[in-house]
Amino acid sequence: MHSLIQLSIVVLLLPLLSFVILIFFNRKLPRRGDFVGVGILGTAFAISAYIFWQVVVRAYDPAFRIAWDFTWMDLGNVPGVGPLQIKMGVVIDNLTSIMLAMVTLISLLVHLYSTGYMAGDKNYGRYFAFLGIFTFSMLGIVLSDNLFSIYIFWELVGLSSYLLIGFFFEKQSAADAQKKAFLANRVGDIGMWLGILILYSQFHTFSFAEIYANLAAGKFALSNAWLTAAGILLFMGCVGKSAQFPLHVWLPDAMEGPTPVSALIHAATMVAAGVYFVARIFIILTPDALHVIAFIGAFTAFMAATIAITQHDIKRVLAYSTVSQLGYMVLGLGVGAYSAALFHLVTHAFFKACLFLGSGAIIHAMHHEQDMRWMGGLRKNMPWTFATFTLATLALAGLPLTSGFLSKDAILAGAIGFANVEGGGIYYLIPVLGFFSAMLTAFYMGRQIWLVFFGESRTHLKPVEEDHHAGHHAHSSHDAHSDDHHEEHGVHEVSWNMRAPLVILATLSVFFVYSPDPLDGAKGWFMKMIPTPATVVGADNPQIGSMSAGVASPHLAAVVVPVPTEGEAAAASHGAAPATHGVSAATAGSHGEAKGGHSYSDPRQAEIVHAGHAAHYTAIYISSVMVVLGIGLAFIVYVFGIIDPDKTALALRPLYLFSLNKWYWDEIYEATFIKGSMSVARIFTWFDINIVDGMVNGVATLVKKFAFLNNSFDKHVVDGAVNFTAFTVNTTGAVLRKLQTGKVQSYIVMLLLVVFGYFVFYFTRLIH
Amino acid sequence: MEQLTTIGLNHYLTISAFLLGFGLFAVVTRKNAIVILMGVELILNAANLNFLAFSKYNGGMEGVMFSLFIIVIAAAEAAIALAIIINIFKLFKSVDVSSIDSLKE
Repeated sequence: MHSLIQLSIVVLLLPLLSFVILIFFNRKLPRRGDFVGVGILGTAFAISAYIFWQVVVRAYDPAFRIAWDFTWMDLGNVPGVGPLQIKMGVVIDNLTSIMLAMVTLISLLVHLYSTGYMAGDKNYGRYFAFLGIFTFSMLGIVLSDNLFSIYIFWELVGLSSYLLIGFFFEKQSAADAQKKAFLANRVGDIGMWLGILILYSQFHTFSFAEIYANLAAGKFALSNAWLTAAGILLFMGCVGKSAQFPLHVWLPDAMEGPTPVSALIHAATMVAAGVYFVARIFIILTPDALHVIAFIGAFTAFMAATIAITQHDIKRVLAYSTVSQLGYMVLGLGVGAYSAALFHLVTHAFFKACLFLGSGAIIHAMHHEQDMRWMGGLRKNMPWTFATFTLATLALAGLPLTSGFLSKDAILAGAIGFANVEGGGIYYLIPVLGFFSAMLTAFYMGRQIWLVFFGESRTHLKPVEEDHHAGHHAHSSHDAHSDDHHEEHGVHEVSWNMRAPLVILATLSVFFVYSPDPLDGAKGWFMKMIPTPATVVGADNPQIGSMSAGVASPHLAAVVVPVPTEGEAAAASHGAAPATHGVSAATAGSHGEAKGGHSYSDPRQAEIVHAGHAAHYTAIYISSVMVVLGIGLAFIVYVFGIIDPDKTALALRPLYLFSLNKWYWDEIYEATFIKGSMSVARIFTWFDINIVDGMVNGVATLVKKFAFLNNSFDKHVVDGAVNFTAFTVNTTGAVLRKLQTGKVQSYIVMLLLVVFGYFVFYFTRLIH
Repeated sequence: MEQLTTIGLNHYLTISAFLLGFGLFAVVTRKNAIVILMGVELILNAANLNFLAFSKYNGGMEGVMFSLFIIVIAAAEAAIALAIIINIFKLFKSVDVSSIDSLKE
């Protein structure tokens, strides 16, 4: 076993250890054991950072891959299935080690932050235990090398998400939200499991590597439609977990959980697991499946962005923004901009975690006020939060010099390239929706910044109502202040353990962490280390061997032929001089050529990658204009007051209400699926009461009748026999008792009589 | 006449039978536990006498050996029995077997 594999297993198991310690012993430990969680995550992060250093920085090889597995269960030859062997294993490549470092870092920062945010909660220790099991399951997803174990950890992640959303379970809304999240995820997971079974039925393996190899060898016996179906079904897992339309409804409600949990699970890591999973199965997705994925992603990005512009709750705006950004990632995967989508996953994780932790700091300082209408003027009171929140906002909006710009631009460039290659008018909907969402993103984030940090405090404007938040998760240190709730001096900057994570995450939202060029993410290490993998399924035929020989595309000749030589050169020189490699890639980039030294045997994929790079500068121009438009609009509406937001809302009332009520998705589901299943349930209830209960009661009556018969038989026959036996024994005993005199001599006389009697009997026998 | 002057096997057996009878009589009728013990000794010695008589008229030393063992064991038995009687006396303040009937309960 490779030492990095061993280390990665240690990283995986450490958070589980934290969970076990904290769930059983948190009441016995000082400070409810929060230092155990923080310490263990610190260790896990240190080890992950070492793995990251070894894999990404030292090896610097896009093809780096080490794997290890063992047979977990060998069920032998199962009838109807064939040989069934379930393996567990770990794979470490660039993506894994980046995700490993990202998950443990954000988890560590959230642990640290929670020591301040959750201080004084009555279930403080259990909270850290749940964070531990979440981190364990998330790392499991990241490290898994097969569909089966990824599915196990997938469900574990769903469970820990369920536990943490409903952490304040006394609140009805939190309990409802956790159920909703769990059920919505279940719908997606069923599809994912069916997809896994389709692949298993063909290849009798769960392992990614073996599935890729089998598909590449053309061993998929069913028609191509089945492969598309498998891809879309697997994507359903992502739809549930990454809150894509139509299963996005759970994520905004999940904001009922503690805010650091929203940062860790519902912004940075768990919801990205869906995107990560699609990336893992990316190369087996057929073009048809990819089209579905691209459209769902684009629609989700657009829809969530339109909802976000009218929400009042600071966390709900961020939640819809998360849905929108996840839509971007899914869109990116759908259009084949694989590296860009994963790049956006990582950059989004950092700046969105920063935004959520920042909003947590605001909520904490505002004594659990989440409504932005009653905030305002916080920049003077909370300078640190203001600075980091703004930086992360710029990254989310996608302004140049930020990480978000690099990744979002790469996705949009890929979308333009995709639309160019596909050529149809409908395909241009994807980049158009993407750019429009970018504008909306800039707008609603500008609105949020303005409402929260600028202007004058509006806490006194809040209509008086019962403050149901304060009662549930009251913080001991702030309870004393709750009577001066409406006064300005109650708001102050948060303590260092909540500030430090903000600063670290904001730093990771700046471009130079990822790329030397603030305008081109493709020149950075990330997109070089995570190149788009060559697909193993062709445009119309899974047997790509014949494909590349048969169809000669002009683009194929242009792209594929020169690239392998560069790839070989890069492979030969990467260890000695990564700088040379960077330069050659940069030169290639200026020509708009495919970078990273990868050849694509599938002409469609090669064209899309090529077109995506060609569209790079177009995308920069359009997206910059869109972002400036969005921010400008936010300034016009909220800063200069040229357009009054309330009057606009009145003028566009139907549109405003449509957005405010989240496109009525909840109501639609309420009217269709929930009402539907309720009426089905009512039918079954009737069936139960009248038919099933009737049968059961009939059987019961028969049994009762039989029991009466049985009873009289018992009384007269069985009891009689028993009593007669007792009577006989009693009488015999009374007679025999007389023989026992207790005198030794009478016993001896009896003995003699018996011996004498025996002799007499014996001798009479002898004589006759 | 000759039968009267010569002591034969039957004489031994007769005496042995009488000893056995006396022993049994003593065991069954006497009330004193020590006398009962003496009756037991008589029974044992009746058996001894039988062994020796058969040994003499049959040749061989088996009977003699057996009677020696019986004498030794009888001595041990007497010692144990006396110890038991002493303990019975300590418990019931009496060695009258007819009055000791706690086995009845």
